[in-house]
Amino acid sequence: MPDSKLHVISTVSGDSQHIRHGDHTDTIESVDIVFRAQRKLSFTYGAIFFAVTLAIPAASVWWEGWYAVPIWGGFTANYLVVSLLYYIFLWTMAWTYSKQADKLDEQLMDMATAITATETAKEVEAE
Amino acid sequence: MNTIAIVLVIALIVFTISLSIFSRRFTRTTADFYLAGRKVGSFSNASAISGDYLSAASFLGVAGAVYASGLDGVWYAAGFAGGFMVVVLFIASALRRFGEYTVADFAFGRFGSNRIRLITVIAVLLTSLFYMAPQMFGAGTTWQVLVGKGAFGMDPYTTGVVVVAGIIAFYVAVGGMKGTTLNQIFQFWWLAFAMTMVVIFSFGNGFSYPQALADASESPIVNTKQMTVAELTTENPATGKTPYDSAASLMTEEELAKVDEFIASDAEGKIPVALPSANKLHELRDQLFSEPGHRYNTFDQFSMVLALVLGTAGLPHILNRYYTNPSGSAARRSTFWVLVFIGTFYIFAPIAGLAGLGFIKEYLAGGGTLNAATVHGLLVKPDQVMPTLAEILGGQWLMGIVSAGAFAAMFSTVGGLLIAAASAIGHDVYEKYVDPNATEAKRVAVGKIAVLAFAALALFIGLAIPKYGLDQAYPALIAMMVTWAFSVGASAFVPMLLTGIWWKGTTERGATAGMLVGLISAISIIFLNIFQQLGTVGKEGILGFFGALTFPVLFTFPLGLLTIIIVSKIDGQLPKNVDQIWMRIHGTASERHEKQHGLDKVGSMFTKGK
Repeated sequence: MPDSKLHVISTVSGDSQHIRHGDHTDTIESVDIVFRAQRKLSFTYGAIFFAVTLAIPAASVWWEGWYAVPIWGGFTANYLVVSLLYYIFLWTMAWTYSKQADKLDEQLMDMATAITATETAKEVEAE
Repeated sequence: MNTIAIVLVIALIVFTISLSIFSRRFTRTTADFYLAGRKVGSFSNASAISGDYLSAASFLGVAGAVYASGLDGVWYAAGFAGGFMVVVLFIASALRRFGEYTVADFAFGRFGSNRIRLITVIAVLLTSLFYMAPQMFGAGTTWQVLVGKGAFGMDPYTTGVVVVAGIIAFYVAVGGMKGTTLNQIFQFWWLAFAMTMVVIFSFGNGFSYPQALADASESPIVNTKQMTVAELTTENPATGKTPYDSAASLMTEEELAKVDEFIASDAEGKIPVALPSANKLHELRDQLFSEPGHRYNTFDQFSMVLALVLGTAGLPHILNRYYTNPSGSAARRSTFWVLVFIGTFYIFAPIAGLAGLGFIKEYLAGGGTLNAATVHGLLVKPDQVMPTLAEILGGQWLMGIVSAGAFAAMFSTVGGLLIAAASAIGHDVYEKYVDPNATEAKRVAVGKIAVLAFAALALFIGLAIPKYGLDQAYPALIAMMVTWAFSVGASAFVPMLLTGIWWKGTTERGATAGMLVGLISAISIIFLNIFQQLGTVGKEGILGFFGALTFPVLFTFPLGLLTIIIVSKIDGQLPKNVDQIWMRIHGTASERHEKQHGLDKVGSMFTKGK
């Protein structure tokens, strides 16, 4: 690995308002905006995940049609969900969540680039 | 054990050691030793995490739990998988973005105190020990079942513990995280192959999932239990019946004659009997295979799933693997693939358990004989269902593949635990406090010594469990101990990680108090439970209530979380550089920079460290 690249890797600077890695900057405003969006996304998905996950034992306790009535061969709805459909639910959630979280990361990327450009323009103007 | 199985297990061991020796030249720096140079791609890392996560308890135990308990066993598997949703939603990418090496580094970097780093180290070591214990006990019992012979004058159990601890200590110390990662990838795919083969052979022999489930649910679940003469003949005051009376209502005359003979001889030891199962959830219903209630009552139906779901996010050997990813989004992708891999595995494991129920009964009814102990057409030890089914359906070859899979599962999990423990001692303590100026070579050497020391401790624990009678106190000790590890991890780490990542107002005092409360309360309840099982703590009063909790996490997790929130609110002393910390956790400048210079590329795990 060339030394120049190692030098680039170690260029990290910043203060309480921004952090810079090489040519790239994060500002506290842009990170806060995307953090709030990420938090909303994560906690919305989290609420759905826990609601569905806890609904399964809840139905197992209080809904006879769920746990005691065969719907296909010996499968009750409870058995079918726990042995198969729950995993499909997990895969779908993890996939869609990851895609949406990646999108938010891209937004942060654009936002930080825009903020950096604005700051540079202001500095040039002031000079 | 058959020759093919022995050959395959030896081949697995040789291959494992070879991979470590191959990886040795790529393990020069601490980043190589603990993190595989942070160059593990999503798919590879997902395979390694899956290998790390799926222990022998998962490979042999889940099918066994389904075989013995039906739907409650299936739910147990689903809970294991569900835990990774908490990881992907709340922890994976933030932990990776923060960088560093370990969970203790995160605690130190986020809250800025040595105190919280040391408490985290203690929590990591305790959680690893709690998780190591069932793995080592599993190593001994698996050797007992699959090999059945001792070596160098040791009994089979001791031989299993010594062999597994020795091999893993060697391959982790030599190969570091790179060697361990390669091994875990290989070991995961081997056990996935073994599980798939058992399922394919089941369907190939006429297994129909819906029909088998209908057949298994025609009559109530029957359990097997090994009992002493005293236990068999002691009357239950509530029903006025003895276990012998219950067994007599089920067992054939021939089977019962053996029990009568055992009672008449007043012999020491235990005899297996078949007993009807009670429905703990719907007491007026028969306990059918397709219905819940065999293992868990109402309280435990909820607490079990919460314990498993939250506990996965608190296993340090799993969390550490997220630092090996090249980026936060790669960490998320890894978790998605983990869910696909282990989800498929946990779909297959219940199929094997159910298939075992039918095929083993059919085989015995047809006059077949098995090495495993059986009574009333059922295995006395349900954990033996995988190798037994493999032998019935695929002969010596399939049983060999399954045997090697069981050892692969143990190797991969204990390997991950050793790396986690070594990084806690070598990186978090030695490098930070003992000798911060140590050379890379010295740091790596300390990491290797830590691996060997922890492997010795694991060996001691494995040998101590039967010595102190813990295996007699708990009928399903491996599953029980796994839930303890989950409970300790969930109570100590998860509240700190969740608040540290998602609530800027978390203070060092709050996080420290929450970790301590979670850790101490979880361990206290676990020991109360152990002492209650060993008969030194009664079942009455407040101690009796907490001692009876199977899954303490339902109390200890909210307790830890509330402590963090309340103490942080009262304290209000945020770290001075909290905004910088925030940008480090949630910002992407570092990743964009790495991407710009091509440093995020994976596939270079085998460049030599500088």
